[in-house]
Amino acid sequence: MKKLSILKYLFVLTLFAGCTDDFADLNTNPYQISDESLRQDNNHVGAFFPTMLNNIFGDQIEHNLANESFVRHLGTPTPFVGGVNNTTYYIRWNSYWGRVYGSIFAPARQVLQIAEAENNEVFVAWAKLLRVLAASRLSAYHGPIIYSNYGSTDKVILYDSEPELYNTWFAELDEIVAAFSRNTEFGGMAKFDDSFQGDIGAWIKLANSMRLQLAMRISKVNPSLAKTQGEKAIADPGGLISTTEDNFYIRNYDGFFRPARICFGWGDTRMSATMESVLGGYKDPRVSKYFDPATDNTLYPDHPDFPYKGIRNGAELVAKDDRLAYSTIASAFQTWPARRCFTSSETHFLLAEAALRDWAGAGTAMDHYETGVRESFAEWGAGGVDAYLQDDTSLPLDYDDPKASGDVNDFVSRIKVPVKWDEGEDKEVKLEKIMTQKWLAAVHNTIEIWVDHRRTGYPKLPYNYKNDSNADWGVIPDDDFLRRMPFVNGERNNNPEGVADATQKLGGPDEIGTRLWWDTGGPNF
Amino acid sequence: MRLLFTILSILCFSVGIMAQRTVSGTVTSTEGEPLIGVNVLVKGTTTGTVTDFDGKYSVSVPNQATLEFSYTGYTPQEVNVTDQSVIDITLEEGIALGEVVVTALGIEREKSSLTFAQQTVEGTELLEARDINFLNSLSGKAAGVEIKKSSSGPGGSTRVVLRGDKSLNGNSDPLFVIDGIPMANNRSGQPGMWGGFDGGDGMSQINPDDIESITVLRGSNAAALYGSQGANGVVLITTKEGKEGPAKVSVSSGITVENIMLKPDLQFRYGSEGGTKESWSTTRGNYDGSYVDDFFQTGTNQINSISISGGTARTKAYFSFGNVNARGITPQNTYNRYNVTFKQSTKMLNDKLTVGSNIILTNEVSRNRPAAGYYLNPLTGLYFFPRDRDFASFRDNYSVIDPDRNVIGQNWFVIDHHQSNPYWLLNEQPRTDQTNRMIGSVTLDYQITEKLSVSARGNYDFASKLQEQQFTSGGNTTNIHPNGSWDYWKFTDELLYTDALLKFNDNFGDFSLGLIGGASYQKTVFGLGTRVDGDANNGLLYANEFFFQNLPPNVQVQSTLNSRLVKQALFANATIGFKEMLFLDLSGRNDWASTLAGTGNESYFYPSFGATAVLSKMFELPEAVSFAKIRYSNSKVGNEVPYNVVNPQNTIAASGGVNRNTQQPFENLKPEIITSSEFGTNWRFFDDRFGFDLTYYNTVSTDQFINLPAPSGSGYTRYYVNAGKIINKGIELVVDVTPIYTPKLTWTTSFNFWTNDNEVVEMHPDLASITTGQSEGYGSRFEAGGSIGDIYVYKFQRDAQNRIILDENDGRPLKTAMQELAGNLNPDWSLGWNNNFKFGKFGLNFIVNGKFGGVAFSQTESMLDGAGVSERTAADRDAGGTTIDAVQGDQPVSTIDPELYYRAIGDRNGIGEPYVYDRTNVRLTQFSLSYRTSLFNNTTPVTLSLVGQNLFFLYLEAPFDPELAMSTNRNAASLDNFNTPATRTIGFNINVNF
Repeated sequence: MKKLSILKYLFVLTLFAGCTDDFADLNTNPYQISDESLRQDNNHVGAFFPTMLNNIFGDQIEHNLANESFVRHLGTPTPFVGGVNNTTYYIRWNSYWGRVYGSIFAPARQVLQIAEAENNEVFVAWAKLLRVLAASRLSAYHGPIIYSNYGSTDKVILYDSEPELYNTWFAELDEIVAAFSRNTEFGGMAKFDDSFQGDIGAWIKLANSMRLQLAMRISKVNPSLAKTQGEKAIADPGGLISTTEDNFYIRNYDGFFRPARICFGWGDTRMSATMESVLGGYKDPRVSKYFDPATDNTLYPDHPDFPYKGIRNGAELVAKDDRLAYSTIASAFQTWPARRCFTSSETHFLLAEAALRDWAGAGTAMDHYETGVRESFAEWGAGGVDAYLQDDTSLPLDYDDPKASGDVNDFVSRIKVPVKWDEGEDKEVKLEKIMTQKWLAAVHNTIEIWVDHRRTGYPKLPYNYKNDSNADWGVIPDDDFLRRMPFVNGERNNNPEGVADATQKLGGPDEIGTRLWWDTGGPNF
Repeated sequence: MRLLFTILSILCFSVGIMAQRTVSGTVTSTEGEPLIGVNVLVKGTTTGTVTDFDGKYSVSVPNQATLEFSYTGYTPQEVNVTDQSVIDITLEEGIALGEVVVTALGIEREKSSLTFAQQTVEGTELLEARDINFLNSLSGKAAGVEIKKSSSGPGGSTRVVLRGDKSLNGNSDPLFVIDGIPMANNRSGQPGMWGGFDGGDGMSQINPDDIESITVLRGSNAAALYGSQGANGVVLITTKEGKEGPAKVSVSSGITVENIMLKPDLQFRYGSEGGTKESWSTTRGNYDGSYVDDFFQTGTNQINSISISGGTARTKAYFSFGNVNARGITPQNTYNRYNVTFKQSTKMLNDKLTVGSNIILTNEVSRNRPAAGYYLNPLTGLYFFPRDRDFASFRDNYSVIDPDRNVIGQNWFVIDHHQSNPYWLLNEQPRTDQTNRMIGSVTLDYQITEKLSVSARGNYDFASKLQEQQFTSGGNTTNIHPNGSWDYWKFTDELLYTDALLKFNDNFGDFSLGLIGGASYQKTVFGLGTRVDGDANNGLLYANEFFFQNLPPNVQVQSTLNSRLVKQALFANATIGFKEMLFLDLSGRNDWASTLAGTGNESYFYPSFGATAVLSKMFELPEAVSFAKIRYSNSKVGNEVPYNVVNPQNTIAASGGVNRNTQQPFENLKPEIITSSEFGTNWRFFDDRFGFDLTYYNTVSTDQFINLPAPSGSGYTRYYVNAGKIINKGIELVVDVTPIYTPKLTWTTSFNFWTNDNEVVEMHPDLASITTGQSEGYGSRFEAGGSIGDIYVYKFQRDAQNRIILDENDGRPLKTAMQELAGNLNPDWSLGWNNNFKFGKFGLNFIVNGKFGGVAFSQTESMLDGAGVSERTAADRDAGGTTIDAVQGDQPVSTIDPELYYRAIGDRNGIGEPYVYDRTNVRLTQFSLSYRTSLFNNTTPVTLSLVGQNLFFLYLEAPFDPELAMSTNRNAASLDNFNTPATRTIGFNINVNF
């Protein structure tokens, strides 16, 4: 009798212990959102675009302490890591790679899988466009990158060589423009598109402009392909980003303008010495749009009427607070709503160079040079462009660092061309003017001018004052610039065979002095 | 509250009038010899005496008391005092074979039958030092228990590891159990190198005065019945309960003061040059450095508790109220705790059914718990402050008004992410950590027959917690929004546990059999709540108003759920004994865990077995041996895997977009498996005056749950594998000796010695190492052949003659390209030495704890050197240079400019080698001197004691206390980055029993 009741009791216990039906629900976080739920309102493909867009631009270590310093746009007052870091050509941070793969490629892959399965060709095209945009910016750092083998389950994942990358991107841009053109009335993107509110025509212009940009990158290393693709971009009925209304901006999804945080929140960036030299020398009215005056009026005795002071890139720095009173970026950037990613001035400078290279349909170099400058002034709301374009005497200033003794950090400007266009000059001088103005217009969007500087040698930027490059990451001669970023440590550790193969494709050691494919080192024409 | 008062008054009412009278008698052995020095104690009190040279005693007792007679080497006895005035006692020789101990699930077992190591610490021992968190008092009192106290002061968390770290990715925290039932011990946030706060854990909420004893089950062998939760060992807390007899009231009250024991050695004779934030002038000055000492205050802890207990043959009750009011050594830091405990049990149905219940209520509030790390830590600005500047002006005017905005902001001499005005931080970013907790349990125990019983228990542990910090606008721009920022997290931690047990005991001739079968259900939900995270960009809409309506759209109000787990189990245990000399123990448990849902591995079984032989019963041993046994056990236990890793979903970003999940789903996840075996032996000699217990264990953890970064090209960002193998092996030795045992003076001393050797034997085949903590200054990673706790730092580049290589151009010391192994943070071996003296009415207790071997790392020292504010940088400037054995080019160098040298090795990411210290330290952990007396004609025993904690170091290598942890997480033990300095506590305590 008793035994029976015990058995019964155990039986009941077993039943209750065996009930595991709700385990999957219990192990699911209710405050995450499932793919199934996201099917509502097309969120399962669309909702990932803001996050991807938000990661096209990196932050302090990806840009401000990398390409933004290499192209001498902004300078840091902070002697990070004992003053030996990326800005002095000793690599400490190399993380744009991780952002692009983790926050753009990984979600894009899943979006593509879903959108392709549902034959949703607009979202496929959009995701691919963002992938080309991100990859082309990333390749400007490293050269070969993982592209066509992305998502492979192989242990060794091979990189694409640069010629392969550019061919693939041009082909993908063909597909993208075709798909967009078939669906210009599609309204499904609007909800997820803070840049163009779903205007597919605007995205076509961006795709065409990107084609022109990528074509120009390879204009020296593969002139015929460059010309074909460049002319195709110019001729496409969808058009280019040619007026400020077409400009491609990426909203500050984080709620803040990242360079402003670096500058005002962390006190880690200021105007560059080169910006002081060029803006001051050219009496450029855009200066007050870009920067605030220095807060200490003893800093610029050499040009008291131009109250700005910049920091030399690759400077000898002792203490951060030495240069905090130098010019910050303009205070207005603290509430700036979006980041410029492709604007009309860039298109016109590209077309100006295209004209120099005799690409069909490009128009005249002078027209596009002057329009490029006008578009930039218009974009920033700066006045005085007519006088500016007529100035044929003003030249960039020499630089003195008031916080360093003697000639430490000082430089003599190497830019000897004035602003005014002179049709009688040779192509080389014209190219230098185009590149100098393209550089001036590119504030807070500096990857392409980093490409241009390596590709053409213009503008004639000052070299690093302090050069800490050594055998660890490769040596940069004192009269040269960093040429690329090395492959990342994570890949060196986890995918060594892939990196070895990529180094072969790079055509030189995996070092910062190795030139990328389009950086031929040869003459510009 | 009204209910509590009612209960209180009923209890008080039953106190009645306690008549006192004297009982005397003689204690003899079975041979009729008088026993000298037998302890005679009135049960439940501290009133007592010892027998004299004739075995005679005389003691004052209240009515209806129980006398306890105990003598080493003899079986103790209890006698109820009715109306006798003479009680003569005969004590039987021999170890108390019948001594019963509490083991897993609250099951009581005969100590001699245990097949595994366990050690019990009495509540009175824990109370001696009067630490607010009882766990800190465990240090050195039990072998194999590594205790690390957080540097964040009262209410901070404590890291407890039994027998080494067993998991690469999961945690190695033991399970905490109150009266047989698991309790929630959910450690929340911990500071890192960059800053942060210790969010505390569940253990600081327990009133130490409620603890009867703590038993530590170190191995998974002992804990197999708890299943995966017991894989890292179990700490069993037995709380006090009412005893039969008239109501007793015990009041204890203490106050301790806390002062700095050790802080960095700073210089105050060289200032800054050219207004830098570093103090690298070479011109000697003489600056006032008293502001550093003045910043700190004397901490105080007031601890009061009252308990009332009593009962009849059928019903027993215990009620207590405890209260702690403390202030820390940094201004504005306070800690207040209120505890109410009510425990009762009643027998019904002809005493066959026992119904028990226990309610523990806690209210705990910490304000401005000290930070650690760089950010928003007052100590950085305090220590870095350039010596030639005037600190007083910044102290007295820590805020300034921005006239344009009419808001205040901090007044500090530099904009630097590493430092802020210390007084601004203290006053303008108030932080609150608050917990309201209720633990309620009900137990039903039904004795079906003499041999068969069934019991059912239910427990609900619920804590509502608030962690909030309000950052005033105008604080450090790195972290604080111009309108101010708000960190807010209100959440609940919840644990529901029920089980049912069927117990059967019988004897069959020479054989005894004990069977236990049961089932349990447990649900834990941690971190369920609402959260807002503020920083420099996620601030407030309007300045300095801290509530939800004032959040701009870019600040997310998050729903949080940190983990949710349901575990169901069936388990059984059988103990077979033969003639009380041989015991065989078999147990098995099957778990069903929700965290493994969808993997096909939700259900997993693990067995354990053990055997014990009581040699002293089996063989004729020399007379000196009073007891001997050997034991062996072997068990396999699964370790839990975390919540929501099998198939995580997408998250909604602050931008309004969706962050796609990029972690590869882990659909073949398995539980981690810990297989352990232990062998032990326990011997007692010379009538129990000397004994030792020796254990050797070997624990193998396999199928480690490892989170790895996915290769860039794989399409995912993270993935998980089950891989790796870790072995922990070690020895634990407990020795106790009673060198002196006379009626006048007794001295008992015990040694707890333990050593643990941890080896990561194998990693994932595709993976050479896992980086687990890469921060500035140091790195920690696991690699095959290494150990958990290995730290890596940059070292000096040296030539073949071991000379430091200097840069050919600027002469600074060069550092190695990669961080190199600098040692392991865990000690090689540990020793706790516990001493008790009794001399008449005086008692003296002291504990010496030693850690030997291992390393500790100080980022503080590195930062102070880099900034030129450490004493050593000044001493080198006094001497005109730093002595160095170095080479530059081919020139030997014997002195180097101190600024060049310390800037190269110090600061954030310099050369860590000089900042790695030997962890070895020996200290006087605890000291208490007590005097027992009584008031009102011996009716009211009173104990007065002078207590001290962490009094001084007998030996120390590091310039900081390596036993104080920046964080109680696994990888940050023995790291110092602007930790609150170590303190010494001295105080006075009084205990009165009515």
